[in-house]
Amino acid sequence: MRPFHPLFIIEAFIKIFPFIPVTLATMAGTVFFGGLIGLGLAAAKLTKKPALVAAVDTYIYIIRCIPSIVLLFIVYYGLPELLKSSGIDINDSSKWFFVITTFSILFSATMAEVFRTAYEAVDKGQREAALASGLTEWQSFRRIVAPQALAVALPNFANSLVKLMKEGSLSYTIGMIDVMGKGQLLIGINHGSYGLETYIALMAIYWILTVILEQIFNRTEQRLTKGKREIAFGR
Amino acid sequence: MELNTEFMRETFITAAKAIPVTLELTIITMVVSSILGFALALKRIGKKKNRAISFYISFVRGTPIVLQILFFYSLLPTLLNYILNVVLGLDVKVFDIDPIIYAFVVFILNTTAILTEVFRSSLSAIGFGQMEAALSVGMTTSQALRRIIIPQSLVSALPNICNTTVNTLKSTSLAYMMTVQDVMAVAKKEAAFGYNYIEAYLVVLLWYIILCTIVQLIFREVERVVAAYKSGHKVKRFNRLWRPDHVGIKKHTQVVWK
Repeated sequence: MRPFHPLFIIEAFIKIFPFIPVTLATMAGTVFFGGLIGLGLAAAKLTKKPALVAAVDTYIYIIRCIPSIVLLFIVYYGLPELLKSSGIDINDSSKWFFVITTFSILFSATMAEVFRTAYEAVDKGQREAALASGLTEWQSFRRIVAPQALAVALPNFANSLVKLMKEGSLSYTIGMIDVMGKGQLLIGINHGSYGLETYIALMAIYWILTVILEQIFNRTEQRLTKGKREIAFGR
Repeated sequence: MELNTEFMRETFITAAKAIPVTLELTIITMVVSSILGFALALKRIGKKKNRAISFYISFVRGTPIVLQILFFYSLLPTLLNYILNVVLGLDVKVFDIDPIIYAFVVFILNTTAILTEVFRSSLSAIGFGQMEAALSVGMTTSQALRRIIIPQSLVSALPNICNTTVNTLKSTSLAYMMTVQDVMAVAKKEAAFGYNYIEAYLVVLLWYIILCTIVQLIFREVERVVAAYKSGHKVKRFNRLWRPDHVGIKKHTQVVWK
């Protein structure tokens, strides 16, 4: 059996550590664009127009059936071709572009449902009561409906974010250098040895990031629901 | 952009021959994981918190499946070789083993953790009263489980099991990294001949949509049958295929703002 060097785990950990911001930045970009598309989709679904709802449902259904790696490859190979025919050349653009495009598409489908269910979870009477007490439509959304919907959406959002981070590790397959990509690079530099040690370091990093994310969202959720209870019983 | 439709048609048929591999991976993983997951869920629901199970579930939740695949694929063959040939002295050609075995290990490891959580939440949704009532009328624990607890928990667990099945099906597309010849691997190989990558992946996409639809249709029927006891009348046959609870989105959470 080939030798195992526990010390190299620490070495790999230190070498990979500086690339965590890359992973986080990719996630942030995906959350931004995916969230925007998801918001649009949710709004389209809430209009209750049958054709629009059917279109959005089909989109979500198809996205849900696609393995992320397949979509990543389709975007990576297909998008430059598609845009070339309309005269835009993106062959030289960085890997970020493809990764964020792919995961935004994937993320938007989940987000659409998260936003919609959160909005629908808030009782209709809330908006009506707000309007009745003289708030404008926008005010009642911003001050009454949105904060409540946020509390409902948060656990689902946290779940999707963790999933996104884990699936984002696939972006190394198209040559993106994030946490996972750097790990693969390290194995390459060492001519394929220290594979196990590097993978252990990578697992530790992802695991730690997941736990931190979950903790942050748990805290935030507790704060949001705490405020709710104070209003409910405080007066 | 021109798509090579001739190539797509051919690849669609070539890839169809690899469908059994994908289905085999999914079905065996689901069956084995269901049994293991249920056993673990029963352990986890007890009063004592089992640290080992919590640790294991946290590990699966916290690490990407692609990393688990790479890790176990570089660990298992050498480990097996060491144990079988060096320690036990058997003369087994470990490196000739079908890599699908390693794929099963990774996917079962992953799916079991998810299903443990699914079963745990569905079991805890039933309440201890049911178990106590069953015991008090003279059933044994296993009888109570089989006749009272499991049928009820199955109803609330099924949407999540369907979701898990779809996710497992999707993640089997990563098995090509372990040189398992599934749909993805076959399409990739076909594409490499003439650099028809877009077409090949579109074919894979098409196959996954078909498989996903079949899985969901089957589960809808099963749900209808299992949940029949709940409503005295006949259950409506056609409802929407897409439901948010399939992706783990809670639908009925309502903010109570008094």
